[in-house]
Amino acid sequence: MAHTTATDRPIRAARRASALIAAAAVLTLSTTLLAGNARAQSDEKIVFTVGVTTDIDSFNLNVGYTVEAYEAWNLHYPTLTDFTDEDFAPQGALAESWEGAGQEYTYTIRDGLVWSDGEPLTAEDIAYTINRSRDEEWINHSSITANLTAEALDPTTLRVTSSVKDPRLPAIPMYVVPKHVYETVSADDMASHDATKDPGAGPFILTEWKTEQFWRMEANDNYFRGRPAVDEVVFKYYSDQDALVAALQAGEVDASANIDADNISEFDGDDTFTVIYGNQGTFSELSVNPGDNSQGGHNPVLEDLQVRIAIAHSIDRELLIDRVLDGHGQPAATMTPGASPSWDLDIPEDEQYLYDLDRANQILDDAGYVDSDGNGIREDTAGNDIDLRLFILDDATNGEFVEGMVEELGFDVTVRVFDSGQLGTKIAEGDYDMFLWGWTPFVDPDPMLSYFTCDQISGPEEVESGSYGYNDASWCNEEYDELYKRQNQELDPDVRRDLVQQMLKLFHDDAAYVALYKAEDINVFNNTRFGGFNCQPTDTGPMLFTNSSSSYANLVRVESGVGAANCGDRDPNATPVDEPGEGSTPATDGGAEVEIEDSSDNNTGLIVGGVAIGLALIAGVGFAVRRKGSADDRD
Amino acid sequence: MLTLILRRLMAGVVMILFVLSFNFFLFRVVESDPVGSLYRGRNISAEQRERIQERYGLNGSKPEQFVKYVREMARGNFGYSYANNRPVSTLIREKLWPTLWLVGISTLLSTLLGTIIGIWSAWHRGSWRDYLGTGTTMLLYAMPDFWLAMIVLVWFGREMGWFPLGGLEDPSSDAVGLTKLLENIHHLVLPGLVLTLSYLGEYALVMRSSLIEVMGEDYLTVARAKGLRDKFVRSRHAVRNAMLPVITLITLNFGFVLGGAIAVESIFSIPGLGNATLAASKGPDLPMLQALFLLFSVSVIVMNIVAEILYMYFDPRVRTR
Repeated sequence: MAHTTATDRPIRAARRASALIAAAAVLTLSTTLLAGNARAQSDEKIVFTVGVTTDIDSFNLNVGYTVEAYEAWNLHYPTLTDFTDEDFAPQGALAESWEGAGQEYTYTIRDGLVWSDGEPLTAEDIAYTINRSRDEEWINHSSITANLTAEALDPTTLRVTSSVKDPRLPAIPMYVVPKHVYETVSADDMASHDATKDPGAGPFILTEWKTEQFWRMEANDNYFRGRPAVDEVVFKYYSDQDALVAALQAGEVDASANIDADNISEFDGDDTFTVIYGNQGTFSELSVNPGDNSQGGHNPVLEDLQVRIAIAHSIDRELLIDRVLDGHGQPAATMTPGASPSWDLDIPEDEQYLYDLDRANQILDDAGYVDSDGNGIREDTAGNDIDLRLFILDDATNGEFVEGMVEELGFDVTVRVFDSGQLGTKIAEGDYDMFLWGWTPFVDPDPMLSYFTCDQISGPEEVESGSYGYNDASWCNEEYDELYKRQNQELDPDVRRDLVQQMLKLFHDDAAYVALYKAEDINVFNNTRFGGFNCQPTDTGPMLFTNSSSSYANLVRVESGVGAANCGDRDPNATPVDEPGEGSTPATDGGAEVEIEDSSDNNTGLIVGGVAIGLALIAGVGFAVRRKGSADDRD
Repeated sequence: MLTLILRRLMAGVVMILFVLSFNFFLFRVVESDPVGSLYRGRNISAEQRERIQERYGLNGSKPEQFVKYVREMARGNFGYSYANNRPVSTLIREKLWPTLWLVGISTLLSTLLGTIIGIWSAWHRGSWRDYLGTGTTMLLYAMPDFWLAMIVLVWFGREMGWFPLGGLEDPSSDAVGLTKLLENIHHLVLPGLVLTLSYLGEYALVMRSSLIEVMGEDYLTVARAKGLRDKFVRSRHAVRNAMLPVITLITLNFGFVLGGAIAVESIFSIPGLGNATLAASKGPDLPMLQALFLLFSVSVIVMNIVAEILYMYFDPRVRTR
């Protein structure tokens, strides 16, 4: 009998397989029905779902750096002041109003503020955050609080003194942390502090975060600008962009800022979606080493301004925007110092180094760099072929284009690929000829302008310690430094703007940084589900992942018609944008009034159920036949 | 036989030690600046930098780092991820289950279905059934899994709307317990289907050719001559002997289960080990990569040993050799 049992194995395996298929089918059936149910239930809440392709790296304010982390902090933590959507003018947040001038301001804090754990939020919390972040150089605070001292005069009065003249004041757009929690965290433990449990006081509070799946934020009933109309904001992670596109089309996700230019055409002509193109100062540059880093390592021919100007003239920005960005960008003349285009360099076209290959070649001929041996490569003054190294990042898409453009001048260009850490080291050592990278500036132009002062060029000591300076142009200009110091302390906005313009002109003219373009952020949303988005700045910026992230608190569920975005008069190619209010109904009572069509889910259940039952039947029949067969054999 | 097993185990341990040290050097061949990558674009003071280097075990010379690395690995401390500052062991624990579920069940299903199809095709060799079975499995075997995944995702997820388009759960559902489990399964159906389909071809083809080889043997003629029913001859005499190569294949493939299915996990946004490998290689997140490679190597080595032991059990000839 033992023999029979052993040889029975394949049959039993087959029988088990049938049983497994049957079980799987039944499971699928019930899953679908139940999952459909669960979704129908959760739809009673108004949930706005954003699809993302990068997760938060860390919710800890002293560790995180991804824009996703900033978006979550913007919603969770309150700030003393933030910025208007229209033009980044400072406006009160926790502060109701302020008075003062120069280096001292007194803020009146809103009354009755509470943290999400029920503890009162007072001027004490704000003073604590300013003073501690200054002393411990918190990485996301110190650029704002480095020179500030704060004192809580009473729960609703805060006095802030700056040790220097600071044109950014009264704006203090810094995340305020709860004193009663952070008092228990020592400086040494700060990097390992689990901030996901921090109480917040912003419009939405982080309630759940599953890494590389989603994070969920619930509307804050006590938000000082009033409870948002949306009950929950969910950021859902997709590791594949095509899957994210499909998720938008299927209605699993309501909006995203992670669709690339070459995928956005999926939404062309689809009235369900509105696409917004916006820029908050992000720009890309070709850095050409003028050799002001004393450690050397560059091709000396680049020290000649005429060579750098010729390279600047060889760049066809329109072509780059067309090919690399699918047309979604603006040409840039020089660095963008601030998030608002109002800071950008404003010079006539004939003073800019625009694309002009003939002129570029003429400049090189006149400067004496000619190809005398006829091998197609120009020679330097010593008679050697000019060979330039172009360093690019591993994810660069513009490298080959720029390589070809510079080669058009008669230079031999060699491309090398690095990760960001390695390229950072090369730059700090001054060991490069050209590289391609980009920046996204802060709202105020001061930090961006400070990066190109002489003292930000790394020396051997910085390279040794690994604490590099910011100046990745290897460019030093005493006049620029002098202007920087003046604008840094200039409290008259018009005078300051004029100083900034002079600095940008100097920076542009020396052609150490050939700005390429300002790439546009692409935002897409399902306008049959939500409306009320705000762009920042209104006329030119994006609506998600902005500096103040104000869209979420203003969203409304669309009942009929087209959901609107308040983004000025934007791209005519995008779906027309309605004025806010039209066709959208604020649902402030938790969504009881909002009617939700969910018939597709019920159908889904039925169809899948049918298939599953069919499979189960087939498997069952197979199982019975096999049973019969083996019973016969045993006889 | 015991000596043989012991010898295999010893070899396995040596192999794991080799992988352990090889990993350290493999990921340090390319000069990189992890702290620079970690704080890209931001200035940090020398003290801060030192603190970070200490935390990530990046201070000291290469040999010192190696000693520290081996010591910490032996203690089961895999360090902290560069990407999010969390302990690598915690991250791997989190990502282990989705992969075990998805790839494990798919491998199981594909071995069962593949073997059955293989037997069926071989037994009906030359008939329309063989052409159908072999044709289908050849097609599935040749189909790139990422392509199949994309088709399945777009069709059953986007067009029909039957299944979710990614992840393991619906973030806004309040489901708990069994309902939650069913919700997870609902999310795993499509990636599971893709993996099952793309794996089963291999088993079917190996099973088919192995069985066809056995079918020519004299003992089958004897079995038939004894008057045994055809089905009986197949299951008790032919398949049993033809199973050997398939068992090896199955066992070895189970060693790769932990390696996850990078393409399929990535397309369906499954937070498993495959997706983690992809993410870690972008950083590069060295502590995470090291731990993942070690885990994959150990699992392959262990399953190799298991395969050998199973072979000894099923094929007495190996034992006596």
